[in-house]
Amino acid sequence: MARTHVQDINRSLYDFVMPEVDAERYADGLTPAIVRAISEKKHEPAWMLEMRLEALERYHTMQMPANWGPSTKGLDLNHISTYVAPNAKRTNSWDDVPADIKETFERLGIPEAERETLAGVGAQYDSEIVYHNMRESVADQGVIYTTIEDALADPELEPVVRKHFGTLIPMTEHKFSALHYAVWSGSSFVYVPAGVTLPFPLQSYFRLNAQGAGQFEHTLIIVEEGGNLHFIEGCSAPKYNVANLHAGAVEIFVGSGAHMRYSTIENWSKNMFNLNTKRATVGADAHMEWVSGSFGSHVSYLYPSTILAGDNSDCEFTGITFAGATQDLDTGCKVTMNGKNTNASVNTKSISKDGGINTFRSSVIIGPRAENARASVSCQSLMLDDMSRSDTIPAMDVRCAGASVGHEATIGRIADETVFYLMSRGCSEGEARTMVVNGFANPISKELPMEYAVEMNNLIKLEMEGAIG
Amino acid sequence: MAGTIQLAHVNTPPAQTWNYLRINDIAIEVPVPREQGAAFNRLPRIFDGIECGIGDEARDWIVASTPDARYIEVPARTTRVDPIVVDIAAERDTAADTGICVREGAEATIVIVAGAALPGEATTSALTRIIAERFSKVHIMEIIALSGSFRHLEGLGVDAAHGAHVDVRQYFLGGKTVAAGFAANLAGDDATVELSCRYLVGTGETLDINHIVRARGRNTREDMAVSGMLADGSTKTLRETIDLIHGAKGSQGNEAETVLIAGENIRNKTLPVILCDEDDVAGNHGATIGAISPEQLAYLQVRGLSEDEAVALFARSIFDDALIHAPEAISAAAVAQRAEAVLGIEASRDSLEALGTDFFGGV
Repeated sequence: MARTHVQDINRSLYDFVMPEVDAERYADGLTPAIVRAISEKKHEPAWMLEMRLEALERYHTMQMPANWGPSTKGLDLNHISTYVAPNAKRTNSWDDVPADIKETFERLGIPEAERETLAGVGAQYDSEIVYHNMRESVADQGVIYTTIEDALADPELEPVVRKHFGTLIPMTEHKFSALHYAVWSGSSFVYVPAGVTLPFPLQSYFRLNAQGAGQFEHTLIIVEEGGNLHFIEGCSAPKYNVANLHAGAVEIFVGSGAHMRYSTIENWSKNMFNLNTKRATVGADAHMEWVSGSFGSHVSYLYPSTILAGDNSDCEFTGITFAGATQDLDTGCKVTMNGKNTNASVNTKSISKDGGINTFRSSVIIGPRAENARASVSCQSLMLDDMSRSDTIPAMDVRCAGASVGHEATIGRIADETVFYLMSRGCSEGEARTMVVNGFANPISKELPMEYAVEMNNLIKLEMEGAIG
Repeated sequence: MAGTIQLAHVNTPPAQTWNYLRINDIAIEVPVPREQGAAFNRLPRIFDGIECGIGDEARDWIVASTPDARYIEVPARTTRVDPIVVDIAAERDTAADTGICVREGAEATIVIVAGAALPGEATTSALTRIIAERFSKVHIMEIIALSGSFRHLEGLGVDAAHGAHVDVRQYFLGGKTVAAGFAANLAGDDATVELSCRYLVGTGETLDINHIVRARGRNTREDMAVSGMLADGSTKTLRETIDLIHGAKGSQGNEAETVLIAGENIRNKTLPVILCDEDDVAGNHGATIGAISPEQLAYLQVRGLSEDEAVALFARSIFDDALIHAPEAISAAAVAQRAEAVLGIEASRDSLEALGTDFFGGV
């Protein structure tokens, strides 16, 4: 039987290593002393240190689930440094960024994307933000795009951070959310005032260059009533032979009538354990949209979660996952519908090849008061060889009589009949199979914000023109 | 409840998910089994390896709760005219452990009925394990039609060899808490399983279902269709798993579910899983969960039916379907008895007359 051969994503763009020159690297492992040192270095208020220490205690007592999810064997916190700071001060000028770090982001296309299509950029290198800037015209509208560290030092913003930080994703959520709150470093704080629409997206890019290190950035976004924001998150790392860890957190508060789009292009290297947590709460008449492309990591646990709290609110989740050799990607989403007349739409695709494992995992919960709530979940998986694996595990919990849920899932390969049909119209077999794979991925990949960040073109280019045979 | 133990993990599916959803299994309080510590096998050892969907803990409990097991063999290339009936309605806390071997090319109908309508509380259970040899045909009818105070555990497992065909009709019509597992192991090439499950979960009742089909042979076919209705204050959990195991080339699995929500304070949980370790296969799932739409209601009202009457019609259709397919008197009587309790005597007898059902020598 002829098989489609789709090449791996071209990773040469991301697999380059910069030497750790004069970096401040904390000892491997996880101790109260390390947590205190991180907090002290950031000159944090006392409540944040208390929160960190409580989270550390919880981390040590919590367990990973034994009955589901990919194995995290190989991830040993005793051999991971939770804080590595580059020898660079935060700046709003690329000219002031150290040459090697600047070159890294140049190669990733970030400054170019900033000039052409973005309203603001934050660039994190290992554990600290090294560059942060926003267009003046956007700042003039009252939009705040800074780091949580800086916001905590601002008497006006500190109460805002304190009110929201850690409330949407509690430290008790799971073991790695506890870890996150213990050692978080590097961050984005975005505040969009009521009625303000940003003409261009904001983007935060996270680069983990250090070997055997963890990255634990926290993103806190508040979009007030009637605001409109598109936020892009990009991440990559070079490949090492030792485990790296990413355990970030994203908390998004979408006010009444507001519109929020959060796009993620995740292209960590294949030695990365990606245990990220993202959650949005959505007010009345508001809209939340997640666009997610997962291409990298050795192991991923990633399920952006939406709480439709307000009446008439809605959300969309659009995702594509590509799992190749050595990858075990457990991705999906969660939706909780509590408001009346809420609407949720989930549309995902996955491609498995060369022994890669894809698991689509989702939950849709419709609460007892969510009258007339509507949810639809569609999940399609394509298997490109018989070494790979693809599972779909969608859960639905409906507690309201006036709600409705539709769900469909399909797993399969490229049908011989389809290839035959296309060949009868003049395509070669190779062209026919390539066309089918392209057609499978395109409805999702076209939603990825390629036009906003140059590097994404490379991330989602699946090189369909590869050899067929 | 005096003298009880808890079975903590009943109906656990092969692939699980977030534990906070409380969808991975069900815990059930059951009486202490009468045969604790028994070390002998009542059935041929070959039955030990047959998965029943209900889980090892519940399976062992049923075996230990059964005074004796029953082994039935259908000889090769014969068709058994009379159904094999597993009747668990005779007395309280009844348990049945049955092993059936349908030899090569043979055909048999198996009926499992739990229809006790005794007052008070009781726990009934049935464990039925079936070996379907090459090119055999096995027709299974399961009717659980207990009154609202009964708990019931049901485990059903089938091993299907090359070319064997298994069709299963399940009707869950009542019971305070019913946990029903079904597992089919399609070990042989071209083996097929067709499952139709219909249910009506009444006020305050809990129905917990776990369907597992493992496709191992080439070109197997597995179709599962589940539909039912939930009344006020009812809880239903459905787990369905199609496991397309490496080597099951050419196999196809389909799951479909339709749920009609016809009451308040309901809880409907669904976990439809497709596990795929092979590329030359197809797995599909579709689910529709909701109430009668305003458009459907308007259509019915134009024809003179109120919403309550429409809902009653849906309920009656489930009993009618069960009656039509009941292959012998015991199962038909269990359905009729439960229909009387749920629909009322008049509607129930109307159904029986309309269907011309005469298992009981006239009604």
